[in-house]
Amino acid sequence: MARSTIDPVTRIEGHLRIEMEVNDGVVSDAWVSGGCFRGMELVVQNRTPEDAAQIVERICGVCPISHAHASSIAGERAYGITISNNARIIRNILEGAQFLHSNILWFYNLAGLDYINPLNGLNANPDEVYALAQSAGTSTNTDFKALLDKLTAFANNGQLSIFSGNWFASDNGQGYKLTPEMDLLCTAHYLEALKYQAMASRMSAIIGGKMPHVMTSTVGGTMFVPTEQKLDDLLAIAREIYTWVSTTMLQDTLALAPFYSDVMKFGKGCGRYVAWGVFDGPGWPYGGDYMQQMINRYLPMGVLNESFQVSNVQEDLITEYMGHSWYVGDGTYTSPYFVTEPDYTDYNVDDRYTWVKCPAYDGKPMEAGSMARIFAAYQRRVPFIVEQVNQMATALGGEAGDLSVFQSTLGRTAIRQIETLYVSALVVDWVEELMEAVASGDSTYFTDPMTTTGAGTGFWEAPRGALYHSEAVEGGKITGYQIIIPSTWNLAPINAAGEHGPMEQALIGVPVEDLEMPINALRTVHSFDPCTACAVHITEPATGRHFETVTSPWGVK
Amino acid sequence: MENQATISEFDSILASRGVSRRSFLKLCGAIAAAAGLSQLAVPRVAQALEQSVIGATRGDLYPVIWIEGASCTGCTESFAQIESPDAATIVLEIISLNYSETLSAAAGHSMEEAKAQTIEAGNYILVYEGAVATAWNGNALRVAMEPGVDALVQAAKSANAVVALGSCAVNGGWCAAYPNPSQSMGVQQYLQQAGVDTVVVNIPGCPANPEWLMAVLVDVVLLNDPTLLDLNTMNEPVGIFGQTIHDNCERRGHFENGEFVYHFGSEEEKKGYCLYPVGCRGPQTRANCGIVLYNDRWSWCVKSGAPCIGCCEANPANPNQNWVQVNTPFYHRHRDIRIGDWTVPPVGIALTVTGIIAACLVVHGFGMKAFGRMDGGAPIEKIRKWDAEHPDEAIGQYDDIQEAIEEEEKQTERLKNGGGR
Repeated sequence: MARSTIDPVTRIEGHLRIEMEVNDGVVSDAWVSGGCFRGMELVVQNRTPEDAAQIVERICGVCPISHAHASSIAGERAYGITISNNARIIRNILEGAQFLHSNILWFYNLAGLDYINPLNGLNANPDEVYALAQSAGTSTNTDFKALLDKLTAFANNGQLSIFSGNWFASDNGQGYKLTPEMDLLCTAHYLEALKYQAMASRMSAIIGGKMPHVMTSTVGGTMFVPTEQKLDDLLAIAREIYTWVSTTMLQDTLALAPFYSDVMKFGKGCGRYVAWGVFDGPGWPYGGDYMQQMINRYLPMGVLNESFQVSNVQEDLITEYMGHSWYVGDGTYTSPYFVTEPDYTDYNVDDRYTWVKCPAYDGKPMEAGSMARIFAAYQRRVPFIVEQVNQMATALGGEAGDLSVFQSTLGRTAIRQIETLYVSALVVDWVEELMEAVASGDSTYFTDPMTTTGAGTGFWEAPRGALYHSEAVEGGKITGYQIIIPSTWNLAPINAAGEHGPMEQALIGVPVEDLEMPINALRTVHSFDPCTACAVHITEPATGRHFETVTSPWGVK
Repeated sequence: MENQATISEFDSILASRGVSRRSFLKLCGAIAAAAGLSQLAVPRVAQALEQSVIGATRGDLYPVIWIEGASCTGCTESFAQIESPDAATIVLEIISLNYSETLSAAAGHSMEEAKAQTIEAGNYILVYEGAVATAWNGNALRVAMEPGVDALVQAAKSANAVVALGSCAVNGGWCAAYPNPSQSMGVQQYLQQAGVDTVVVNIPGCPANPEWLMAVLVDVVLLNDPTLLDLNTMNEPVGIFGQTIHDNCERRGHFENGEFVYHFGSEEEKKGYCLYPVGCRGPQTRANCGIVLYNDRWSWCVKSGAPCIGCCEANPANPNQNWVQVNTPFYHRHRDIRIGDWTVPPVGIALTVTGIIAACLVVHGFGMKAFGRMDGGAPIEKIRKWDAEHPDEAIGQYDDIQEAIEEEEKQTERLKNGGGR
């Protein structure tokens, strides 16, 4: 019996520690620890919902747009606002641009280096790389010979830069399995991906001013008013990204998968899923019926049990427990009335070991993320998703209609490219939809509040999964604010019943050959695309503690 | 000159890395603009880069350690969006990014080893992103079983310079906003308390513009002595943070014409009118966003229709003066207007349309420059002319109105004598 740890886990957002007990080369127990506390919910107390939308997006620099939108939806529900159709389309494009940015960056630049060894690409024959790319049906936009020269110059310099201390030699040199040609091809796409993720963010910048931390989405709709030039720019960029995604990402995934078929044998997790849905659908606003709005999203809301049966979300089934986290007490609280007070004690896996709280749905741990969204969309029979999922299931050696083939580390990593393809096509459609709406004279972008007192919840999705923002507002000032982030679901510690969180469950059973470089554990962690900065957060203690406003009308001096 | 590469050597290094002369000059241009230099400075930047030791005779890339504190990774993300040069070029050809929690291939102890080796070798730059969270003796942030503050001190001690990147690193940013639950503060203040005297360069912004970082990195590498950097009293690069957003705003003309956006998403917004009435903090926030722009120069806040919310406001010596605390509520009220070193409260001006225009005119009087707005610009008027002539009826407050008048007269005298800046 031995302990293996990864701390810090890199190529994620935020600070994460993984500790595992390894028995006969297999993980027998696991603890996931989120390392950073900042206290977002306390900061937005007593500020306006519009301010909150700007502040809370700063919880995460990878998916700020989702937070801005979930917060705006919460504010709109509190204020009785139904946003205009143009605002809906604009927010879809903005959110879609972020999904593209995030999914591309994650697959190639974050998770990719668990499978791709650019230094092995030095041994490739560039001519064979072309042949390989052709047979895999993937894109060849890079001059492979020039890339090889560039890599060689880099290697000859002797400094490894971002490859310093890499795990390419893990598992006695057997951890990385690609041929030199495949490695060079994927390295080319790693570098192209850096370009395309930035290109996706240009769309966010056109609509939101800058990315990360967009400026225009707010309670009531958007501040962005499209001009013809901005629409033309958006369309050109959206089409260019679609072309690259549709000729590259699924193809690379299927070319890479056969080398790593072992990675399909572990990493299932808890097998239950939550998706709150994202990208509001056409036919908006469905008479203002929130449940219908969520069901009609392009990626619909759905809660899935062990046998993939889908049900509608019920807010009061969401709870949070903190007995294993660095907060006072060990109570379980029901949404949206969470009560927590931070209190660091010590790192002890038998007691408290993380800043992440433990959320549950109907008392159970749930996995959130792209796989959850795709499963929900599949069960809700979204045609594009059904077709693509069936194709990929067959390609991975499963059967069409059997979702269980995806319940593994590699499956979770692969299925996300279906979403990327879907969203990249939708963004083009949405820009065209907006052009038509503007041409037909539709010119409402922002809607004023009906009231300044109320409460509302924004159910939405970040690229990493189900996102929940809830707020209570009195006279335009926030009196209570709660956030449940996707990674809080995935990185949850042990619950009150002693059951491990989803990522901990996924880690248990992972083969670890090399305690120093547990590469398969790292692959499993990255398959969730964890994002810990936002996973750690606290809520207002209901102790009657009252925060005085410190803002005088003319400023603090 | 043994430690300097000749120009021809430099060219061959560029060539061996597949960087054309043209794209190299493009990089120099980007750096010059981000640093607030005129494009006329491009040849000088190019020459300086060529004569530096980056990737030259030592065969070395300048080592960089990039530590994330209590961060959202937004500044890293922002860095990953840079195009001239792109992020891949930077990490493979310009700097050696030996430790980055977001980009490194390594993980766990291998990462920590790479960092330890870099620290031991010395001669590196530390980029610190995120707030310094001090609550629970620094355990609000734990990395590799250590409080995050210890990692900062270790890495900062032997660094040639520390770049505090983003408003959180400068003074805690939003993390430090009331009630500052993680007891966050900025890098400079924390290092001072810990007795570490490495030079700290502050680059505020939420996120910081990656071109600002590139400009500072190149400056540090070129000067080879960070104490020679041209920094203001807040340790910010003068070229970047010397003027207000308002000074260089693309909508400034509409401000001066009295053409305003009063309602989000309105016809006025489509016309690109001035966002001052919906809360723009441009007149009080210092940064060259409107010149450098974001995301490969595609846009910036005001261009997309959003008022500036003052995210570059960060007093490194005081976490309470973080941009969220100073600027909320963002869209409804106007706080003190900053002109040069003076702050002017828009006293008695009600939140009405006419009041707002009146407020704008006050700013206008103060904000006008004697000569142009670009290329460093002319010195800011220390006192509005009307106020100087009617000290008893001055609108706004000056620390000492007599002193301001004298200073203004001296400056006028200097300008007359051809002294300029």
